[in-house]
Amino acid sequence: MGLVCRVVEEAGVPTVCVSTGRDITALVRPPRSYFVNAPMGNNFGAAGDVATQSRILRAVLALAVEARDPGLILDDVLQWPAPFAFNPAPATPEAIAKQLRK
Amino acid sequence: MQPIRYVDALIAKYGAMGFPPYDWSRYDDAPFTPLTKTLSQCTVSMLTSGGVSRCAMPPFNPEARNDLRLDTVEADAPSGDFQIHDSYYDHSDADRDLNCIFPIDRLREMASEGEIGAVAPRLWSGFMGRIYKRQAVLEDKAPALALELKRDKVDLFVAIPA
Repeated sequence: MGLVCRVVEEAGVPTVCVSTGRDITALVRPPRSYFVNAPMGNNFGAAGDVATQSRILRAVLALAVEARDPGLILDDVLQWPAPFAFNPAPATPEAIAKQLRK
Repeated sequence: MQPIRYVDALIAKYGAMGFPPYDWSRYDDAPFTPLTKTLSQCTVSMLTSGGVSRCAMPPFNPEARNDLRLDTVEADAPSGDFQIHDSYYDHSDADRDLNCIFPIDRLREMASEGEIGAVAPRLWSGFMGRIYKRQAVLEDKAPALALELKRDKVDLFVAIPA
């Protein structure tokens, strides 16, 4: 998605990337990024939390107005209420075979 | 808590399967197009890569790799009329409330309240994760999307990776 943002921006349309993976975003360096320290799939907060969803979306759009330097990553204040982890599926023989087929 | 180090985790995951470390795209700089309008004048579009499709459309392949499918999503699509298929992340919250990952209701509210000018006629879902064909994205699919955004007179584009 960072690559898509770079291409779209280069074509003349301002972009903001709403990331939950700060290290990946820092490598790819989209033109403007808004980092939310939440699980993947919760870029705008929790289900039903309309206030947080609106707050983050407003901040994302404001970043587009305020950013002056390319490659900026702005960090949201959200503290996710419970610890979370990236739990990739275990490397079973079936999983390896599936990767090799692709 | 500190942000999760996904790069290390993914190298460990695929290393355990016997694959060499993934060669991440790395850039030291970024292109930049200033926003020249106020938000209340802007037409805004959004893109999710979370395996999100309308219920009447085929589901995304949850194990997809190099899937360059890109769906259009009508600006007035009901947020309850979507399905999510992606094994890469836990979408149980987004299954209950699409706005967690693709805040179409929130964007429409901002348009109706005049905070933004308009929701673009087309929103987008695609570029699902695990795309290794980077040249196809950089030279074909993303430039094609940029043309469509311009056709829709989009002033600001929000991309939401999953």
